[in-house]
Amino acid sequence: MKNLKIQSLLAMLFLMLPLFSLGQDKPSGLEIIQNVYNRPEGNNIQSELTMTLINSRGDERVREIKQFSKEFKKVEKKIMFFMAPADVRNTSFMNWSYDEKNKDDDQWIYLPALKKTKRISSDSKSDSFMGSDFTYDDLGDRHPSDDTHKLLREEKLNGEDCYVVESIPKDEEYMYSKTITWIIKDKWIGLKKEFYDEDGEFLKTLSVKKYEQIKGFWIITESEMHNEQKNHTTNMKLQNITIDGGIADNKFTERMMKRGLK
Amino acid sequence: MRTIIQKYLPGLRDLESPKQYSYHTERQRSIPCGKRDSSLHCVSLRMTTKLFFLAIMLVSSLPAQSLSINGYVRNYVGVLTQGDNEYSILQNTLNLNVEHSQDMVSFKANPYMYYYDDNNLEIGLREVYMDIFFNSIDLRIGKQQIIWGKADGVFITDIISPKDLREFLLQDFDEIRTGVTAVKANYYRGNNTLEFVWIPTFTPTALPEMGSLWFPDLNFPVQPVFDNSKKEVKGSLENSEVFAKYSALTSLVDFEIMAGYAWDDDPTMHITRTIDPQTKQLTGLTVTPRHHRLTIGGGSFSTTLGGWVVRGEGAYYQGKYFNSTDPFDGDAVVKKDYAHYLLGIDYSLWDVRLSSQFIQQAIVDYDENITQDEYDNTVTFLARRDFLRETLTLELFTYIGLNNEDALIRPRLYYDLTDGFEILLGANIFTGNQGSFGQYDKNDMLYTKVKYSF
Repeated sequence: MKNLKIQSLLAMLFLMLPLFSLGQDKPSGLEIIQNVYNRPEGNNIQSELTMTLINSRGDERVREIKQFSKEFKKVEKKIMFFMAPADVRNTSFMNWSYDEKNKDDDQWIYLPALKKTKRISSDSKSDSFMGSDFTYDDLGDRHPSDDTHKLLREEKLNGEDCYVVESIPKDEEYMYSKTITWIIKDKWIGLKKEFYDEDGEFLKTLSVKKYEQIKGFWIITESEMHNEQKNHTTNMKLQNITIDGGIADNKFTERMMKRGLK
Repeated sequence: MRTIIQKYLPGLRDLESPKQYSYHTERQRSIPCGKRDSSLHCVSLRMTTKLFFLAIMLVSSLPAQSLSINGYVRNYVGVLTQGDNEYSILQNTLNLNVEHSQDMVSFKANPYMYYYDDNNLEIGLREVYMDIFFNSIDLRIGKQQIIWGKADGVFITDIISPKDLREFLLQDFDEIRTGVTAVKANYYRGNNTLEFVWIPTFTPTALPEMGSLWFPDLNFPVQPVFDNSKKEVKGSLENSEVFAKYSALTSLVDFEIMAGYAWDDDPTMHITRTIDPQTKQLTGLTVTPRHHRLTIGGGSFSTTLGGWVVRGEGAYYQGKYFNSTDPFDGDAVVKKDYAHYLLGIDYSLWDVRLSSQFIQQAIVDYDENITQDEYDNTVTFLARRDFLRETLTLELFTYIGLNNEDALIRPRLYYDLTDGFEILLGANIFTGNQGSFGQYDKNDMLYTKVKYSF
């Protein structure tokens, strides 16, 4: 009898196990980051980017870019046209980023003074983007498998319920030793991100100031990167956003890099 | 900001073999004009100036839609470091880019003015053209700069736009390039492009005038007499130039294949000697510059290899004339084919952008009497690093002539005082005794360029 009771209890417990785990409803760090990575943003998007660099004295420098991107079968193509300041006007930059792992991006720059399109190496991901507090890598989508992720806790930030996830790069040579991201639970938007430098020292914070739902997609329209070590800030604002407005495939060619915004 | 433009931009300056322009004649620079000077030249110059401003005003009054006017104002002062520290140049520049576009058409004009310390004023249109954009074809008609190839500052397949070498290779790249009146048609299919260029009239290289700091070392045993009567290539359909290019930009590699039926931009110096029959001594030299037809075929590529960009370019020239000392060669010239090619790499190391190129010119079926070496080797080297959020850039660019052991060393410091306002401090140091750089050994200079872009 006693054995039967124990067996029944074990059976019940066994049956309830999946229920317990469902009741917990806690995704892993990796799952959270994957959800952010896979958040749909439309097939093609065009926008105007204004980047304001603010130094410790409050002096500002403004850079303006018009950008287009489109998802193709196995590649995401992006083209940027520099509009300001005046000395870089009509310069354009094109990037082809491949789904295939370990395949480097292809990049070209068109320099109007030289009237030449130059292929450039994409190994400069840790370089600052136009003197800002963003590196080239900060602006791209880092693949979730490049880091080891751990859900640290859940907490409210700016009135939003967030997961707090720590990500440690698998590549020890990477420019950051660790990042901590606050992710809005129901929207899979990173609301804040802290970056730690190679020595493990706190480096900079990315704060999302504004996000909007456009054509059903959540898009971050204003963010700010503050470098704590250098007391320097970069504000990034997206305007005139068009999602799935239809960008011709031939937008991402040398022909268009040379033609510019005509 | 400059990084994206410059760190990937090795070798802004052009490179040219010494022998190709070492016996060139002068090009007229503007004659100084006073306010009340009523000579035909000065009246015409004043009228041109007025027309220039009138054109700007007219363009400014066009409907603002899609019209853009931008450009720069620049002050350029150079001082020689040897002798009495004379100024090598004192120049003020206004350069404008006027553009207008609507639907499938657009135009661009690039007027410029150089004003020198001696009141010389030079006005010109570097480019003025119209574009017509069809679905898969673009047409560009008018005066335009056409740049081909993957090499930096070396003219191998890049031979369509003639050069302005009046200040040797020291001008900015877009100023060394002169526009040429042409019809250019491009056909696009995916990432492939077919390009055809027709140039109805020939424009030669602009060379330093006699007496200029940059007038090359002629090295004739007696003072020559120049006979310029055969220098001109008459404008006719028969004398036009044609070029074609197929190019593709792919994930694996970018490449171009080209061919051209052109004129040699640099004149060949045909030399006739007068010898005293009694003494058998050379008593006179007549130099007759003439341009000859060239047929060119070539190509170029650019690809990435790990973190490196590897570039190559080569061309075969048929019908080039070289000066010869063989008394049996008529006019002291001999016709030979030659090949010109380059291999270059761009890479970075500790935040420094580095670029190096090896260039060789080889004369096919070489004859010992040719005054130029059979193989002419040159190396270029560039190192550049940005500081202060890309507002300060340090750069070192060097040309090294391996045949003559000469070099041009160009250290530069750029600083953006504010966006669009750049201060440049630089030096041009020539080393060696002969060769394209060594011949200017006494022309070492320090210079500043202050530039306001708008």
